[in-house]
Amino acid sequence: MSGNEAIARGAIEAGVAFCASYPGTPSTEIATTLQKNAKEYDIYVEWSVNEKVALEAAAGASWAGIPALCSMKSLGLNVASDFLLNLNLSGTGKGGLVIVVCDDPRGHSSSNEQDSRFYAKAAQIPLLEPSTYQEAKDIVPFAFQLSQKYEVPVLIRSTTRLSHSRGLVTMGEDLKHIWAARQLPENLFNVPSPHLKHKDLLDKMERISEDFDNSSWNTKPTSKDVDLLIISSGISRRYSEEAIHLLNAKNIDIVNLVTTYPLPRKIIIDAVKKTRRVLFSEEINPFVEEEVRSLALELDEIPEFYGKKTGAVPDFGEMSTDVMMDVIEKIMKLKFNRREQIKSDILIPRPLTFCAGCTHRNFYWAVRKVRKRVKDKLVVAGDIGCYSLGVFYDRAMTTMQAMGSGIGVASGLGQLGRFGFDSKVLAVAGDSTFFHACIPGLINAKHKGANLTFVILDNETTAMTGFQTHPGAAHQEADQKRVKIEEVVKAIEPDFYARSNAIDIPKLVDLLHSTINKDGLKVLLLDSVCRLEVARREPAIDGIAFRINSDLCKGDKCLICVHDFACPAISWDKAVGHPVILDQLCVQCGACVAVCPHDAIKEERA
Amino acid sequence: MQDPFNILVAGVGGQGNLVCGRVLAEAAVQSGLRPVVGDTFGASRRGGSVLTHLRIGKTDWGPLIPKGEVDILLGLEPLEALRAAAKFAGERTVAIVSQTKIPTVASNNTPIEYPAVEQIIGSLNDLCKHVIVLDAEETLTQLGSMKMLNSYILGAMGSAPQTPLSLEAIRESLESLFGSKSVNMAAFDEGAKVEQ
Repeated sequence: MSGNEAIARGAIEAGVAFCASYPGTPSTEIATTLQKNAKEYDIYVEWSVNEKVALEAAAGASWAGIPALCSMKSLGLNVASDFLLNLNLSGTGKGGLVIVVCDDPRGHSSSNEQDSRFYAKAAQIPLLEPSTYQEAKDIVPFAFQLSQKYEVPVLIRSTTRLSHSRGLVTMGEDLKHIWAARQLPENLFNVPSPHLKHKDLLDKMERISEDFDNSSWNTKPTSKDVDLLIISSGISRRYSEEAIHLLNAKNIDIVNLVTTYPLPRKIIIDAVKKTRRVLFSEEINPFVEEEVRSLALELDEIPEFYGKKTGAVPDFGEMSTDVMMDVIEKIMKLKFNRREQIKSDILIPRPLTFCAGCTHRNFYWAVRKVRKRVKDKLVVAGDIGCYSLGVFYDRAMTTMQAMGSGIGVASGLGQLGRFGFDSKVLAVAGDSTFFHACIPGLINAKHKGANLTFVILDNETTAMTGFQTHPGAAHQEADQKRVKIEEVVKAIEPDFYARSNAIDIPKLVDLLHSTINKDGLKVLLLDSVCRLEVARREPAIDGIAFRINSDLCKGDKCLICVHDFACPAISWDKAVGHPVILDQLCVQCGACVAVCPHDAIKEERA
Repeated sequence: MQDPFNILVAGVGGQGNLVCGRVLAEAAVQSGLRPVVGDTFGASRRGGSVLTHLRIGKTDWGPLIPKGEVDILLGLEPLEALRAAAKFAGERTVAIVSQTKIPTVASNNTPIEYPAVEQIIGSLNDLCKHVIVLDAEETLTQLGSMKMLNSYILGAMGSAPQTPLSLEAIRESLESLFGSKSVNMAAFDEGAKVEQ
């Protein structure tokens, strides 16, 4: 099973009964797996509107004595952090609350490279980092016991390579437990003396550090004569082991930490005392490194440290066996013959793109046309979702930061007319993002009279992460009630509102152009289509094909459909001297028909 | 067997990679070995490059193959095979590569010319110990679709002498995923006939 599936399995073995989450790569499969098992193990699982609501919901369950899990990606913990930094003091009651955060080193599927472990330090809560698939499963019951014992939230941190790789895991017993909600404990607030609650929490953390020292999660050095001690955590453990193996290096030992905050002080001190050199192997920031270095100040003899702080280990990007080999080679002055990466001049990039038939492409095509019409006086404040790929599409998107920040940024830009800002302001968000974080920004824009156009690309599913349901989704589960975006928007009463679609390109261009020229707060709700979602639910249409007419096509003098519209199903064919439609990729949406200025693309019926 | 034995699958978009990784991992388990499979997915679904790292051994290894340590490279697409080889191929690497290209799209309005497939194969020959080129388009189109390239390439790999897993073990694993009646099994058997 994958690291994420192992975490979900661990939650089942811990007797979890409540799971609230918001999807985000690389964390999504944790809640998805629990959802698949929800009936069998009687677990309540929900995709909450955002991570803050998810954590709040999970805390409610834990207070009522129900073991609760809350999983999210790195950026999600930012959203939930406001609540987390209060919940730590209030306590989590008897149920137990475990938060799983999946960081994404290198930002494979994220807009930043964030180390979320600092939230454990900021909130003064225990942090656990499994380093194998087996530990990913086994750590969850331990995390629940810890949370139940001390009534604090416990943070488990995984990273992309553990979450998204698979290995063999030995399963434990199923724990089928009938939970009954109990009365909430008293004083579930921190006032009037948050400082005393803080003191209580710090006392708990002292005891937890001792528990960690006495636990069997962390490895200890096995040899006496250690030339170099590696302190590893998470998946970096495997990279360290393999680097030692490939280098055939002697006198190197590893202390692997699973309980990384608070540090198991005795284990660290004992291990560090026995060596002259310490190397840190961890993903993203020098978190363990900084903790160990400050702990080492208590020692009579301080060893030499090598890590991200000292420049020995790269302090950005992913860890790997290759990185560890380079580092160990340098420190130990070893030489291992390896072929360096070869540069090939024929190796052209394969940029990310919208799927064939995705209506987001149509929308950005329209943005491009409108931008020309207004002589480039247009800024597009973007948001997080598939449509974020707009940044790669002729740079159609100007800004892109956090969930909901498009409308927030736009509500500021929409006030700058008084300072001479003369570009039209356009904010873009998807449907799931709308519910996640756009509503306060939209209300702010309405209240303050910001001059902007807000476009909602509504494909009625959380497409980016694998079609999770959300309040506005077309397909709802039996006991869920749909909340219509249109009704929410109308209740806010924008100065102009229109609902149209992102399928008919000429109509879309005109609507977008006329809308941005109006004054005040304008909202466009565009019915959009996710072809992957359609393909999941409906059979393909046979008998329709699109063809490029070689008499009408201007060949390499034009290339608008290939290079500008850039649908993956249209490809330049050198042999015939004009672009061709690739039937195996085409989804017969017909959007390209309107894009061709020479009417050369036609629908054909078999 | 080299321990770990490292198989790297290079493709576009994801599905083909996932099936190859899943099938070979299951075949390894049935052969009494421990597989670790690492996929790069997420945003890659939007038509980007996808790599699947498969490590087979007696113990668990890390989820990424170190540079130069690939034993078998399965290229579901020629350009992606070359991209993977440039980064990970080494002295031991045997590449089994489909010559059917998936064109790249323009980036930020900049056209990019896809290189000649012969040129790609030539570069692969420079980087790898041995390259087996698969021409599966006609066979698979007749069977139904190029989507079965993953089953075809698994067949070709199963009959390669370097493969530590038996052809039968891989076939059984594929069958447990798709069922014995699936046309994927026919694609696998066609792949197994490829001359090495």
